Amino acid sequence: MSTVIVGLFEGVETAARGARALQGLSLPAGSVTTISAVPLPDGAVVTDPAPVRFPKIVIAGWFVGAAAGLALTLATYMLYPLVTGGKTIVSVPPTLIITYEVAMLGALLATLFAGGREMGLLRFPPKAIHDPRIHDGKIALCARVEGDEQARLAMDAMKDAGGTDVRPEEGEL
Amino acid sequence: MSAEAPRVDDHHLAHTDEAAMFERLSRSNLVTTWKWYLGVAVSGAVLLWGLIVFLYMAMVGMGVTGYNRPVFWGLYEASLVFWIGLSHSGTLISAILRLTHATWRAPVLRGAEAMTAFTLMVGGLIPIIHLGRNWRVYYALPYPSSRELWPNMRSPLMWDAMAITTYLIGSLTFLYVGMIPDLALLRDKSAGWRRKFYSALSLGFRGTHAQWRRYHVTSTLFAILIIPVAVSVHSIVSWDFAMAKVPGWHSTIFAPYFVVGAIFSGIAGVVIVMAILRKAFRLESVLTPLHFDNLGKLLCTMTLLWGYFYFTEFLTVWYNRNPEEWEVFSSYAGPYLPLFLTMIVCNFIIPFPMLCLKRVRRSVSLILVPACSIVTGMYAERLLIVIPSLARRNDPFIWANYFPTWVEFSVMAGAAAMFVLLYMLFAKFFPIMAISDIKERLFHTTDRTIGGTTVESIAQVEGEGEAHA
Repeated sequence: MSTVIVGLFEGVETAARGARALQGLSLPAGSVTTISAVPLPDGAVVTDPAPVRFPKIVIAGWFVGAAAGLALTLATYMLYPLVTGGKTIVSVPPTLIITYEVAMLGALLATLFAGGREMGLLRFPPKAIHDPRIHDGKIALCARVEGDEQARLAMDAMKDAGGTDVRPEEGEL
Repeated sequence: MSAEAPRVDDHHLAHTDEAAMFERLSRSNLVTTWKWYLGVAVSGAVLLWGLIVFLYMAMVGMGVTGYNRPVFWGLYEASLVFWIGLSHSGTLISAILRLTHATWRAPVLRGAEAMTAFTLMVGGLIPIIHLGRNWRVYYALPYPSSRELWPNMRSPLMWDAMAITTYLIGSLTFLYVGMIPDLALLRDKSAGWRRKFYSALSLGFRGTHAQWRRYHVTSTLFAILIIPVAVSVHSIVSWDFAMAKVPGWHSTIFAPYFVVGAIFSGIAGVVIVMAILRKAFRLESVLTPLHFDNLGKLLCTMTLLWGYFYFTEFLTVWYNRNPEEWEVFSSYAGPYLPLFLTMIVCNFIIPFPMLCLKRVRRSVSLILVPACSIVTGMYAERLLIVIPSLARRNDPFIWANYFPTWVEFSVMAGAAAMFVLLYMLFAKFFPIMAISDIKERLFHTTDRTIGGTTVESIAQVEGEGEAHA
C-alpha cells in the first residue's frame, strides 16, 4: 500500500487545473488519476500512459473455441457413426456451423476474461481508494506520492486549484 | 491586460442534480409498489399453472397435445421461433447503436438487453418442453457415458442448441458488462445486504480513468462479437426448417427472411417494453417521444423489409406453381385463412401507414398500436411457417389439420409469464436504466448558439472504445 492524496473537485475544469498543478511535482507517469462517475476523455484531466491494446487473448479464445467445436463434431461423428438420411458420416456443413458457434463462444468468454483483467476487476485489495461522492457530480483526483514532503506539496497544489476535502489516504489506486 | 477568466463546465451534467436523477432512474429499485407485488403474484401464478400442466404432459405423454400425424411440430415450435425472434431486439440493436455511437441510445439499452436475455431463456426452454420424455434431456449433452450415445451433430436441432447457448451466454455477459458501472453506483448508494450484493456484482469497479478506458474497449469488443452471433442464431433457427425437404420450408431465402422477421418483431417488442417501463417507473423525462420516434422509424423500415421478403418468397411459388409448394400456399386460403389475414393485416396493412406518420411515432400510446399489431402478426407468421407445411406434406393421403389443445396453450402461457416474472424481478434488483450511459450523454451535451437559436450539441470523442493493435 502507498500514500495517495485524494481531492474532490466540482467539475472537469477545476479537476484539470488540479492535475496541471500536480504536473509541477514531477510525479511518475501513471501516479495521477481520476475517479469519476462518467468516463472522461483521455487528456481532459489526466492522460493514461498505458495504451489500451487489443486483447490478443480474444483471438486465442476464438481459435481455442474453433478447435473445441471441430473436435466435438469430429469426435461425435466417429464415436457414434450413425448414418442419417444417406449422408456421409463426416459432414462438412454441420462441422462448419458448430465450429463457428463454439469459436464465437470462445471469443466472447475470452473478451469477458480479458476485459475483467484489464480493468482490474475481481481484485479486492484491503483498501482501494474510492469516494462515493463522485456520484454526486464530483471528480476525485488522486496522486500517489512518496514521502511527507511530496504529500504536502501535492495537497497544497490540489487545494490551490480548488480541491475540497483534500486528504492523504493509505490504499491502492 | 486582464487575466483569462477560469473556465467552467458547461455540459448538461453540470447543471443536473445527480442525486435527484439517481432517485428518478432507480425508482424501480428504490420503491416497491403494490402493483409490483400484484404483477409478481399474477405472473407467478400463471407460471405455476404452466409448470403443473407441463408436469401433467410429461407424465401422461405428448398425446395430450394437438399433435397428429403428420403435424408433429405445432404451437411449441412456433413459440420457439417467436421467442428467439424477440430476442433479436435487445442485444443486436444495442450493439449496433453502441458501435454507431447513436446519441439517443442510452435510455433504451438496458431494457432491450434484458429483454434479449429473458426471451432467450424462455425460448431455450421450449425445445426441452417439446422433447417428450423430458427427463432424458441430458442425452443431448456430449459427454462420455455408459450408453455410448452421442448427440447427432448433423441434426439442425443440435446446431440450434449450440447457437442458442452461445447467444444466451454472450447476451448475458453483454448485459452484465454494460451494467458494471451502474452496479458500482448502486453499491455506493445502498446499505445492508444490498450493499454486499452490489459490491459482489460490481467486482470492485471504481471508475478510475484507466478502468473507464478499458471498459469502453471491452464493451465495443462485445458489441462487435455479438452481432454475427445474433445473425447466426436466427439463421440457424431458420435452418431447422430449411434443411428439411418439406414444401414451404426448403427455401434458400429462409435465413435472411428469419433474421429480418426477428429484428422486426424484436423492435416491436422493445417499443412495448419501453412504453411499459416508462409508465410503470415514471420515466417520462428519460424515455422521451424522440426515442419512440427513432424506434418507430426503424420499425417502419423493417415493415417494408419484411413485406419485401415475404412477397419475394410468395411470388416465386405463386408464379412457379410447383404442386407440392402450391398446396401449402393454397391452404392459406383454406383452414389457415384467419392466420394468413392476421399476419398480412397486422404485419403490414396496420403498421406501415401508421408508422409513416410522425404524430403516431411520437405518441407513446399511439405507437403501441402498430407495435402490438406487429407482435401479434409475427406470432401468426410463425404459426403459418410451422403448421401448414407439415399439414400439407407431399403425400395428400396423410394431410391433416392441427389445432393446439389447452395443454399447449397453458404451457405457453406459463412461458410468457416466466418472461414477465423474470423481467419484473430484474427491474426490482438491477438498474433497469443505463444510468452511467445517460450521464455520459449529458456530459457530452452542451448548448450551442447558432444565429438566433440555441441547439443541443453532442460531442463525439475520437477513438472512444478503440484499442491499439
